[in-house]
Amino acid sequence: MEKEQYQQLEQNVTPKPPYLKNVAKAFLVGGLICAIGQAVSLFYIIFFNFTEATAGNPTVATMVFFAMILTGLGLYKKIGQFAGAGSAVPVTGFGNAVISAAIEHRSEGLVLGVGGNLFKLAGSVVLFGVVSAFFVALFKYILVTIGVVSW
Amino acid sequence: MMLPLLVVLSLLNGCAEKEKFIVYGSPQNESEVEALINEEDYVDRSTVIQYDGSMLVAVQIKPWEKWKKTKLEKKLQKKFEEKYPNKDVFVSADYKIFYEANKIKKDQIEDNKLSDKITELIELAKEET
Repeated sequence: MEKEQYQQLEQNVTPKPPYLKNVAKAFLVGGLICAIGQAVSLFYIIFFNFTEATAGNPTVATMVFFAMILTGLGLYKKIGQFAGAGSAVPVTGFGNAVISAAIEHRSEGLVLGVGGNLFKLAGSVVLFGVVSAFFVALFKYILVTIGVVSW
Repeated sequence: MMLPLLVVLSLLNGCAEKEKFIVYGSPQNESEVEALINEEDYVDRSTVIQYDGSMLVAVQIKPWEKWKKTKLEKKLQKKFEEKYPNKDVFVSADYKIFYEANKIKKDQIEDNKLSDKITELIELAKEET
């Protein structure tokens, strides 16, 4: 059997992934997570001395905390299987990546196991986040210096 | 059958006309302030608290205009400063400030505490982290 023939055969056999259904699921679950995040943010604004500008930090911390508890109970896995990117793109997905790595390497000890592998999955998020933030800031700084936009 | 109807009704309920302009504090130029804010069509709701020389203008900007929130805030601040040069005006589009300003109105806070409360809110609005 030739290579092309095999590929033809494979394509005929492979079931088509239900793209539209997956997108709808991701949209709904991702939207739900963001709605919960908005509720947490409003909670901090109304009951504590946080403004719209400052409520972001405690909100992110709380959402990661929720994801941590759900991951520990093994529930976030199920949400992830159902919603895909809908549960991975919000900050709760980042929390899940950190905590699940910590749980996985617990048996290897606290320092080399948990400490060394904590950012095994989430490290790339931190790295590319910092690098892209640097370049965006640099770009904006140049634009402000030229006088195209203001801060 | 009933549930979607209820949802639609409760959503439409939000469209009902709310009290758009509230001015609280020493009554001196209420209609003037109201007219000033009325000129700006991006303002959704507003609450103005004034005491002696200080004036706190808390506004909520319409959803699609919120992209330009800081710019509109500055524009409104400039407008008010030009109109009342001898007053200490502070304009904020933050929800927290709007919420607290409405609370001042609701609780009918007395004049002697009002000025402290206004300075407190202005300090809060200036916080960045």
